[in-house]
Amino acid sequence: MTPDHPDQRDHPALAGDDPEERDPGLARERTSLSWTRTAIAFAALGGVVLKENVITGLIVLAIAPVIWGLGRVSRGSPQAPGLHRLGPGRLFFISVAIVAVALLSLLIAILGKSVPGALR
Amino acid sequence: MSWASRLAEFGPGAVGRDSGGTEPDPRFTFANERTFLAWSRTALALVVAGLGVVQLLPPFPGVPAGRHLLGVPLIVLGAVLAVVAYSEWVRNQRALRRGEPLPRTIMPWILAATITIMAVIAAIVLLISALR
Repeated sequence: MTPDHPDQRDHPALAGDDPEERDPGLARERTSLSWTRTAIAFAALGGVVLKENVITGLIVLAIAPVIWGLGRVSRGSPQAPGLHRLGPGRLFFISVAIVAVALLSLLIAILGKSVPGALR
Repeated sequence: MSWASRLAEFGPGAVGRDSGGTEPDPRFTFANERTFLAWSRTALALVVAGLGVVQLLPPFPGVPAGRHLLGVPLIVLGAVLAVVAYSEWVRNQRALRRGEPLPRTIMPWILAATITIMAVIAAIVLLISALR
């Protein structure tokens, strides 16, 4: 591989066949996009729940920007000393949020007023 | 080992307190995090699907509880996947820190088995309602 990129000429360690070796930031970028997709998934679920129960739907919708904000931590330096300490808390929050949303959805499913035939 | 100490092993501070290992390559940490997020989205999709089945599908003739029979297990599976995904993330991160082989995961097995069972139940419910 030829070091045609200015960064690679200045930093030979960045050169290599593996794209991640050339740019370790790609892993961070993919993780950041993954957080964004998760936030969108929460927003989509919030939209569905909003149709059935406005307050619950708004609560779920409000979680989406929180998830997006938590994902911003991943966009810092991968060598950030606090990354491993922040990680468990963020991921624990997502798990708790999904369980809470599932319980609310269960309540809506069992007790809520259905709209039969909406997909007919 | 008591249940409290077992649970504490999977608490948010458990990985950070693990002084037995060293900080792994950030790429592995990110990959582990992405896997957790992918499972979380799968869990959310199951919750949406379950809610949609119960709330939006027309009732099955002859099977009054058909929609709940199909939707409620999907929502419960979503909650279970979210919890198991977190515990898998903790186990994987601990193995990465200690340089050990990654532990075997039961998540694909849980998902495949439940989806298969749900598909069979859905087929039975549809058959019964079609025969009515």
